[in-house]
Amino acid sequence: MPANWWTRNRRYFLYVVREFTVVPIAAWLLWMLLEIKRADGGPAHYYPPSSTAFVVFSVIVLLFSLYHSFTFLSLAGVIIHVKVLDRPVPSRLIVLSQFALWAVASVVVGFVLIWFAR
Amino acid sequence: MADKRITIQTTRYDPDKDEKPRLQSYEIPFYDDSMVVLDALNYIKSNVDGSLSYRWSCRMGICGSCGMMVNGTPKLSCSAFLRDYWPRPIVVEPLNNFPVIRDLVIDMDDFMQKLKSIRPWIIRKQEIPLGAGAHYQTNEQIDDFRQFSECINCMLCYAACPVYGLNNEFLGPAAIALARRYNLDSRDQGLKQRLPVIADNEGVWECSFVGECSVVCPKGVDPAKAIQQTKLDTTMRFVLPYGNRD
Repeated sequence: MPANWWTRNRRYFLYVVREFTVVPIAAWLLWMLLEIKRADGGPAHYYPPSSTAFVVFSVIVLLFSLYHSFTFLSLAGVIIHVKVLDRPVPSRLIVLSQFALWAVASVVVGFVLIWFAR
Repeated sequence: MADKRITIQTTRYDPDKDEKPRLQSYEIPFYDDSMVVLDALNYIKSNVDGSLSYRWSCRMGICGSCGMMVNGTPKLSCSAFLRDYWPRPIVVEPLNNFPVIRDLVIDMDDFMQKLKSIRPWIIRKQEIPLGAGAHYQTNEQIDDFRQFSECINCMLCYAACPVYGLNNEFLGPAAIALARRYNLDSRDQGLKQRLPVIADNEGVWECSFVGECSVVCPKGVDPAKAIQQTKLDTTMRFVLPYGNRD
């Protein structure tokens, strides 16, 4: 396989983009773990970065994570196969349920974070 | 129509003479809109160069013999119409990711061994005598595996799979789809014999879900679906109480 195999067609390219998105997401999550460790020492040790560069990086990571989540959940209909009353549940319904669960989980996490931050 | 011509560039490779495969150009008459790439190759072989080597048999998308790269995409050459490419030239190459024996003929041994390793036949713990009658199945039971049984072993999915291209130890899309076909068959009891192969590191877990195997399949089989569902099933067998039952 030549090193540029992923440029052969659009679907290979989008696949590589999908896989690549985890690299900046992992870097951002590592930073967050560091922040949590620092916060363990009390408010005096907690000083989250607020530079423009970091905000831009965070927005890019947010877009990457949305793209990764969207592609992952869109494929849920392919992966999950369940039957209700001996009939297979349509893929579209499974995908919709995954997006609904995603929305609910986001609201719950957002609520918990805001509630404890008050 | 009679004067219409099309250029076919096809791989030529004679291991006794050539260091590496090369492309050779042929301009042939495109006399009929129903002509396919295989017709063009047959024309070249019959009228221009009889030494051109390639596999084919049924000419109707059933046997799976004539898989080739057509303008960089894995296709059955009997189903790739010239009209879809004309007036541009068509580049015909051997299937990607396989060693080339000669011209457009690839070495299928690796695929055949992988196919055999997943035991693609109905396995029974105890055979029922013929006199006991047929194994009956409901339509729903057939629907469970029907699409995976459409595979014709044409290997287009292997040519499209970059994972197999990067690591040919990977069991590959068609073999896993066929394993799933038999594992889902209500008459089959061979799941535990297939599991060590399909749940191995080089089995379903090597797949990173590119999905191109399902895109190129000429029979509408969805090997990517078979692989991802097998991942889920093998995980459930591992984590659920009594999940490892037969």
